Amino acid sequence: MSSSLAPATQGATWRGSSLYTQIMVLTGRSLRSVLLDPKNLLFTLLTPLMMLLLFSQVFSNVANTPGFPKGVSYINFLMPATLVTTALSAAMTAGVGFVNDLRNGVLARFRALPINGGSILAARSLADLVRSAVQLIIMIVAAVAVFGFTPKGFGVAGALLLALIVGWGLGWLFLAVATWMRNPETLQMFTFLAMFPLMFGSSAYMPLDGLPGWMQFVATVNPLTYAIDASRELTLQGTISSTAFTSIGISLVIAAGGMVFAAKGFRRQ
Amino acid sequence: MTELMIDAVRITKKFGKMTALDGVDLSVPKGTVMGLLGHNGAGKTTLVNILSTLTTATSGTARVAGYDVLTHGHDVRGRIGLTGQFASVDEQITGLDNLVLIARLLGASPKQARRRAEELLTVFDLTAAGGRKAQTYSGGMRRRLDLAASLVGHPDVIFLDEPTTGLDPSSRNSLWEIVERLVREGTTVLLTTQYLEEADRLADRITVLASGRIVAAGTADQLKGDIGTRTIMLTLAHPGDVTVAMDALKRAGLHPSHDVTRRKISSPAVASTDLILAVRALDRAGVMVTELGISEPSLDDVYLALNHDPKTDADNANAVTQIIKAISAA
Repeated sequence: MSSSLAPATQGATWRGSSLYTQIMVLTGRSLRSVLLDPKNLLFTLLTPLMMLLLFSQVFSNVANTPGFPKGVSYINFLMPATLVTTALSAAMTAGVGFVNDLRNGVLARFRALPINGGSILAARSLADLVRSAVQLIIMIVAAVAVFGFTPKGFGVAGALLLALIVGWGLGWLFLAVATWMRNPETLQMFTFLAMFPLMFGSSAYMPLDGLPGWMQFVATVNPLTYAIDASRELTLQGTISSTAFTSIGISLVIAAGGMVFAAKGFRRQ
Repeated sequence: MTELMIDAVRITKKFGKMTALDGVDLSVPKGTVMGLLGHNGAGKTTLVNILSTLTTATSGTARVAGYDVLTHGHDVRGRIGLTGQFASVDEQITGLDNLVLIARLLGASPKQARRRAEELLTVFDLTAAGGRKAQTYSGGMRRRLDLAASLVGHPDVIFLDEPTTGLDPSSRNSLWEIVERLVREGTTVLLTTQYLEEADRLADRITVLASGRIVAAGTADQLKGDIGTRTIMLTLAHPGDVTVAMDALKRAGLHPSHDVTRRKISSPAVASTDLILAVRALDRAGVMVTELGISEPSLDDVYLALNHDPKTDADNANAVTQIIKAISAA
């Protein structure tokens, strides 16, 4: 019979957990902190709805501009893009969560445990993926019920999946940046700086033809444009084209690069 | 010689041009408490980070619980607990969930994890607060939860990095009692602290770090004896005797001084026979005293003396000698 405070040499000990258990347990912990914080949960859900409401009102006249697809309402044009930009903003929080863990010492505690560092990063990414999925589903439901969004068939499920893949890939990029910056303030500034060109220098709110020349260039090299175009095809026409696969390919490359740099940054002292 | 649970040899750590640790040796026998004393920036936390595998040393080797920290980091991490200013719990989840989380990561089944968590909450008097988010805890409760979290896996060695900084005296006391209990049950502890009282009370041996170097090491008593000077203190029965008493003590080879009220005389006791000399001299001169004693130097004296100027200490290979001189001159 060992005492509750005695070292293991005098009592039973555990032999370490599997990678799968580590990722699941750590993901559960990240999600729990969201679920246990009603304010956090509320803002997480309200932000995309607010964006949808404002953009659908502010930019509704875009539907009358030349080059706008005929017979498409602005909400139907906007919604597939909003799925992608919402996934983008979720991706950005992956870095924030990491830096918070670093700042308040939770990360040091984990790193002093006999667990794999990669599972800490993977769990972050996975938790944000789940959170993003919940956000997007709620958004789609609200868009259909309140804003008159009329997706074509099950293409919207494909668009959801695509947005998740794109968000997941970009999430690794922001996670990698976070492991190198390690400071909430700088990270936030970087995030803002990166967010605006990614969101607005794309086909999200305007057809490409409606953008000034140099912005058109930015939008063509912006990986989000591919995702948004593919998302539109999926929701408006219910079809999938090579654009979707290009977008998935880009996301996988970003994810792989992000993983490498995140792992390096994580080990850096 | 008993088994060493921490055995660090010539540990050096450089951050760019800055040398945080410069050839530090540290050995801690099983079941003892080593106190690592030093001001902010002395290198205490860097050393703890190296020994707990969070950082790698620039050079030098270290074994913790029998494993090399560099080549067997995973084995080391399975046998240590880390608590302190830079290792903490997740404030967004409950105290219970924090402990369950760690037990699960260590390999416990959900059932075992819950049992262990509840057991620790009881030991640390946190059962009632177990279901509350850690951010609602008071400072003392937080530290107890931190310590509980580092004990989930029954570690052989625990690192306590300034565990009581910022705690009120009663919380500090209860934490000290837990640490004492841990040690009684066989855990080896490396404690870093800025509080001399804490090192004095808990540590079997103390190592004083200044600017990344060890400037003194030994038991609390040895440090006091080596560095601080003991002082003979006496109070005269008749203030009029002050001149007679001073002369008698001077003739005996002592260096007495008296206070303004001319009732109290003090004299550094350099040799162990100085007190006897003083008593004989006063007796021969017929001086009556109402109080006579020796005051031990406090660990504060040691600490202040060793850390009075980190910049010069860093360049000084033998800071201790210099400080002893400084104290005797004062």
